[in-house]
Amino acid sequence: MEGFGEKILEVMTSNRIDIHLFGYTIPISDSVITMWIIMAVIIILSIVFTRKLKTIPEGKQNVVEVIVEFVNKLTESSVGHHWKLFAPYIGTVLLFLIFSNTISIFNIIPSGQDLYKLTHIEAFKKFPDFNLLPPTKNASVAMGFAVMSMVAVIISGIRVNKVKGWLKNFTKPVPVLLPFKILDYFIRPLSLCFRQYGNVLGAVIIMELIYKALPAFLPGVVSIYFDIFDGILQAYVFVFLTSLYIAEAIE
Amino acid sequence: MGIQAIAVSLALLACVSAGIGISFATAKAVESVARQPEAASKIQTVLLLGAALAEATAIYGFVIALLMILLK
Repeated sequence: MEGFGEKILEVMTSNRIDIHLFGYTIPISDSVITMWIIMAVIIILSIVFTRKLKTIPEGKQNVVEVIVEFVNKLTESSVGHHWKLFAPYIGTVLLFLIFSNTISIFNIIPSGQDLYKLTHIEAFKKFPDFNLLPPTKNASVAMGFAVMSMVAVIISGIRVNKVKGWLKNFTKPVPVLLPFKILDYFIRPLSLCFRQYGNVLGAVIIMELIYKALPAFLPGVVSIYFDIFDGILQAYVFVFLTSLYIAEAIE
Repeated sequence: MGIQAIAVSLALLACVSAGIGISFATAKAVESVARQPEAASKIQTVLLLGAALAEATAIYGFVIALLMILLK
């Protein structure tokens, strides 16, 4: 029972990995490195999948078209007339969040100590400890996404309604609601952030506890729900709420 | 830890309310899909939105409980 609290703390704190470059030591948190990996994977996948596009789709092009059509339909059903403006942003955030929430199923990188025990090579001992955990378990990363979508809401409101119409929207049904409308811009990113962060962190903690308590068979089954289903659902909900806020801003 | 454990468990009561709320919403959604199967997709989006908003309370409780454990 004693080890559980420390395990939770270890999951919650973000490790810093020192990178030595030109005599300087740059500490970089592991969620940033995980995001770099995800970015590289997404960029490579999108370059590979969109090569040699044809009018009549075949093979891998079918997969891309299904994804793009899903994003387009999602945006069109919630945003409405101006969907073409927002579909790229919505799709990018959706893909990135799906990758980042489910990345912990690829967490098979052994730690430096394990490699040393396995091979008895001294060099592996200095290998930094690195776990592929979802970057959104860090509250700052989730807040970054929330602020990004809030900025998108403001920009879309100004772009579609012009500055005058956007300002007028604050007093739309009755002017009494003005403070609440201003408050909306602070509460919405907070709630988006905490939804993402709390869900992912909860899933990660539960998975770590299960790994510690019963390392055989059970984690594989539970991981389907906590890592894959919950991660994809939360990414979808985040994107869905963002598109709803955009729809409200441009109406 | 004594009193703090009670406080944490009280904070986690938020999860109970979220569970009850989501289950009510889902029951109504099932009912309305059975009545009008052609409106299923619309009902699904509305249900998802409602469930996400109701779930937020549970998440707030969870985050506050975690903070209470860690920031003694």
